Amino acid sequence: MDLSLLLSQAMSGLSRGMMLFLIASGLSLIFGVMNILNFAHATLWLVGAYACYTFWFLLQAHGFAIWVAIPLAALCVALVGWIIEVVLIRRVYARELPEQLLLTYALVLILGDLIKITWGVEDKLIARPAMLADPVIIAGVPIDSYFIFVIAVGFAVYFALWWFLQKTRYGHIVRAAVFSREMVSALGIPIPIIYTGVFVMGIFIAGLAGAIQGPVGSVTLGMDMAIVIQAFCVVIIGGFGSLPGTLVSSIIVGEVYAFAILFWPGGALALIFILTAIVLIVRPWGLFGTPMRA
Amino acid sequence: MSVKKLAWVGLAFAAALVLPMFVGEFWVLVLTEILILGLFAVSFNMIFGYMGQLSFGHAAFYGVGAYTTGLLMVKAGVPLGLSLPASMITAGAVALVLGYFCIRLTGIYFAILTMAFGQLIFYIIFQWYSFTGGDNGLQGIKPPAMLDGAWSYYYFALLVVTAAVIMMWIISESPFGYTMRAIRDNTQRTRFVGINTKKYMLINFVVAAMFAGLAGGLWGPFNRSIAPDLCNWHQSGVPVFMTIIGGPTGFMGPLIGSVIYTFLMAFVTGFTEYWPLTIGIVITLVVLFMPGGVWGLVERYTAALPARGEPPADSGGEAS
Repeated sequence: MDLSLLLSQAMSGLSRGMMLFLIASGLSLIFGVMNILNFAHATLWLVGAYACYTFWFLLQAHGFAIWVAIPLAALCVALVGWIIEVVLIRRVYARELPEQLLLTYALVLILGDLIKITWGVEDKLIARPAMLADPVIIAGVPIDSYFIFVIAVGFAVYFALWWFLQKTRYGHIVRAAVFSREMVSALGIPIPIIYTGVFVMGIFIAGLAGAIQGPVGSVTLGMDMAIVIQAFCVVIIGGFGSLPGTLVSSIIVGEVYAFAILFWPGGALALIFILTAIVLIVRPWGLFGTPMRA
Repeated sequence: MSVKKLAWVGLAFAAALVLPMFVGEFWVLVLTEILILGLFAVSFNMIFGYMGQLSFGHAAFYGVGAYTTGLLMVKAGVPLGLSLPASMITAGAVALVLGYFCIRLTGIYFAILTMAFGQLIFYIIFQWYSFTGGDNGLQGIKPPAMLDGAWSYYYFALLVVTAAVIMMWIISESPFGYTMRAIRDNTQRTRFVGINTKKYMLINFVVAAMFAGLAGGLWGPFNRSIAPDLCNWHQSGVPVFMTIIGGPTGFMGPLIGSVIYTFLMAFVTGFTEYWPLTIGIVITLVVLFMPGGVWGLVERYTAALPARGEPPADSGGEAS
């Protein structure tokens, strides 16, 4: 095992982890604030990837196509998320957990078929932007420059979220809502608006992540199913509602996967499930969570 | 009222006996599927309706059951009559190990841990080519000559499923069943009166898994082949859907759900490939406008409910 392989594998794991972070951070935030586990999160991520394809396809004559397509796709997905929240999710806040879970699971099926109807069954390919097409040489090892872009976006979103939650008034309200909805509501802050805002924000990040995923490989049906369970695992390992926890566990899961693929290709995913099961058994509130919610 | 409900169950059973004589082979296959998946759903509801926990990995036990019967029949030539009990035992044994951890958690954590374990079982079966055939699945699971026909296998399934459902009903009406309801409604208080809640929950988990294993065992010879997808998390969603459509509060709810779900699937897939879209919309409508499912509706219109705030599954006791 030479060092260059380790380095390139580590970078690929980190980029995979950051992609998971972008999905899991919204999932964790939505669960933390609204107590709703959104099964459809990764499906909306996939909608982002397809939307990015469409915008890129329309603009591909221009060099900047992808840089316009990514934010547009993220905004579109956020809009879809807003509609879903207002039309569906809002109605089940007061319901039991299984019903909420079932509703978002039904959304996975509905959106999955709508994607199929809209974009067809063929895989979609998005050309990488010219400036990220060639590998970057780090310490003599060629590293996929698009990986570095994904990692950079992941950290940028992490810091933006951290700044929002720690430094802004609205962030403080959101954090307060994680601890006690009743108290926040009693202070005269309209909880439904906070909920809608958090949901749309989480979905926006998922849409952004999906759009960025587009040029990584081909965009295919069913990608969401594979990633949603891993995103759940990330959220569980990191602890619901903990942003740093989600970041750390994303990186752990990404790296475990990247290295397990080298030594035990069949067992990479199994290893992640074992890790999740161990965390659930030993520390159900996750590595960074607080036992309060367990 | 209980006599009235008994009459309905008798009527449904009579219909199950007579109906296949008047329909073609396709619908007999659909009816068999209803029975097998119905058994799977009723076993799921032992955990969901009676213990109050949502298992999202129940298909693991269904798959273990299916692979036990399939492997025993194909690789060892064991007769179906012995393979089915073996399926129950292996599914129960796996559930004993996994359940030991699962019952320590509740709510969302229970759902995700069962799901993680379920996926683990799926990957083991998926990757273990030399033993399970991996993603090629296992072909050539032939029922014995006597049952080698749509009608005869249907009646065999009817016999097995009826016996299993009666057993589960007896369990749900026994002191054990009422202890489960107590645990669901207030675990702390149940523990306080001196009941080892963890032990009861584990037993319930194992028993539910055994019946899921039996349903899985029935599936292989019916379908002639099995694939690892039988224990994937989508498959775990099937009993959840059926139970939500039929209603988790009645013992018969999941069976009603299985009838609706499977008929609808047979009907809809006849003219469109968009089955997920259809069932997704159905589930959304049921969750939004018909909480309690079909059984909930039936209850609202037939019986004067004792009290509005009555915990739902108490009526599960009256369900037959």
